[in-house]
Amino acid sequence: MVAVALSASARAATQPTAEQKLKATPFKIAWEAYANGNSDIWIMNADGSGKVNLTQTPNINEHYPQISPDGTKIAFNVDAGEGRSAVRSLWIMDIDGTHRKKIADEAREPFWRPDGKVLGYLPQEYEKFAVIDYYTKGMMFYHLDTGKTEPHVNSANLRHLYHPRFSPNGKWIVSTVHGGMGFSHAILLIQADGDKIINLKIPGCRPSISPDGKHIAWGSGDHEIDTAPIDTDSDNPSVGPWQMRIQDEKNKVYHIAWSPDGKFVSFSRGPDGEGDLQKKGTFQAACEIIGVYATDWNIFAVPADHPRVVNLETCGPADVEQLTKTGDSNKEPAWFIPAKQGKE
Amino acid sequence: MIRLLSAGMLTAIACLALLSGCKKGASASSSNAAAQQAAEKTASGIEMVSLPGGTFTMGTNEGNPDEGPAHKVTVSPFWIDKYEVTHDQFAKLQLPDPSHWQENAKTPVERVRWRDAKTYCNERSRAEGLTPCYNEKTTEWDCDYSANGYRLPTEAEWEYAARAGSDSLYTGGSPEALRQYAWFVTNSDQKTHPVGQKKPNAWGIYDMDGNVSEWCEDVYSATYYNESPAVDPKGPPNPEKDVKRAMRGGNWSAPAEACRVTFRQGQRTGNTDACFATDFCGFRCVRRAPAQQVAQALK
Repeated sequence: MVAVALSASARAATQPTAEQKLKATPFKIAWEAYANGNSDIWIMNADGSGKVNLTQTPNINEHYPQISPDGTKIAFNVDAGEGRSAVRSLWIMDIDGTHRKKIADEAREPFWRPDGKVLGYLPQEYEKFAVIDYYTKGMMFYHLDTGKTEPHVNSANLRHLYHPRFSPNGKWIVSTVHGGMGFSHAILLIQADGDKIINLKIPGCRPSISPDGKHIAWGSGDHEIDTAPIDTDSDNPSVGPWQMRIQDEKNKVYHIAWSPDGKFVSFSRGPDGEGDLQKKGTFQAACEIIGVYATDWNIFAVPADHPRVVNLETCGPADVEQLTKTGDSNKEPAWFIPAKQGKE
Repeated sequence: MIRLLSAGMLTAIACLALLSGCKKGASASSSNAAAQQAAEKTASGIEMVSLPGGTFTMGTNEGNPDEGPAHKVTVSPFWIDKYEVTHDQFAKLQLPDPSHWQENAKTPVERVRWRDAKTYCNERSRAEGLTPCYNEKTTEWDCDYSANGYRLPTEAEWEYAARAGSDSLYTGGSPEALRQYAWFVTNSDQKTHPVGQKKPNAWGIYDMDGNVSEWCEDVYSATYYNESPAVDPKGPPNPEKDVKRAMRGGNWSAPAEACRVTFRQGQRTGNTDACFATDFCGFRCVRRAPAQQVAQALK
């Protein structure tokens, strides 16, 4: 028994830390953070080094960065105004922060088609603003080559979706629905070019499919993120038993995102809260929601091959790395392959 | 038994309602405490019941510990929604509707968090040109009770309206009679139902005992009745940690015992994510009576 313990201990000592593993990856992470009076989009290396504020717009609040598959463009939301007269719009810009272009007003939660030619988004449900994430109706596709926008073929029947993502094969859009489309609350697979909808029957929200299309990660509770197998090449995918669970009894964990090679997941973590109205341009709701200031929230990453439970309160440096430390509402991490490498 | 603040109040209410831009409803009125009170339609077409202020016995010594001690409370005149707030009312104000059951526009909204309910109140006030009661720039959305807009009822107002002049703990007089007045676990088929399908209480207010439980303005405290003021109690001070707000009335999933008019519960105001909201939390609005009505009542 002692020998086993020593052996395990020795293994732990020789195991590379999550930081070392992350340092060896070529990827970067974009995220949003609130500093110096407004929200901006930042990028950093996978190990948390080399942080750069891409937007630096003191009077404009940028949120929810989503990077094109080739790593050349960022889609994001901009919030302007206050209360119910605020406007949330959808923009794109180059990965260096230049060439900003508005795509649509009253548009939320962009998501890239795997070929990078189409940007999906969710139109706001009504004209008046509400910060809540499921305040959406329909689904639109913006074609980057023509500049034209078209609705999803089943757009008229899509309501109260949030946090959509394409599956890597482009066949499905995985999304949460809350109080809409006949669902109380569910994580759905929506056929990308048809009207098929599959209830994955897993609790929670904000799903994301791994780059190989064989795993799904999602927030199964305020304090838990799960991963589980799924086959998105199937015509009727279903989710298997969970494989890895990231857990934190004290803090909330949200906004799971896969690294481009599927070897890591990053997420946001911090205490419960309802925002801070002293922060200009922010709103009041659950702090994980876009546009709500999340006090003491930071970005973390863990290797995605952990066998079972990663308890964030007790795990060691081999299992987790904290990538930001300011606590300034660091949320919504999104991995990407730097453009130069993406073109190779 | 409820003592009305003044006889002939309803005539005055009707006149004042006209002065304040409300349309007189068709409901019968009477100075008898057990008779239906005057119903009005607001500028946005929502029916409200105008209640005279009065003194009544709040709470009971025969229920859960937080329902006692029974004590005398006086409330000022106010108006209360005849029905629970429904999906179509939420949609009209362009608010995100979090409800589980949305097939019928006339079922009550549920899974509504305390702040969602307050947002509705302020938006409805603005839509009718009234002054919102809630200060959206404060963390707890502090309530200005002197404003003429809509707000959530205090627990005292809610219970006064639910009792409708009766001493009974159950609308209709007994748990057996509850079926006629409320959707609760015995008859709900485990879901909400369109408002106004059951009998109203003696003051013409519907679904106070079931369908969805209703948010109140007060901070919830199990011991508040030991210390609450005798006139217009508004709940204990905010402890600012682990705050719960009072929720009153039964709901589609509640047993009959939880539908008695004195039954109390405290719920967290809902800063957890939408996916974990509970599907029995709804509300209805109140409005302070016009100043003239209050002055008349105090004569």
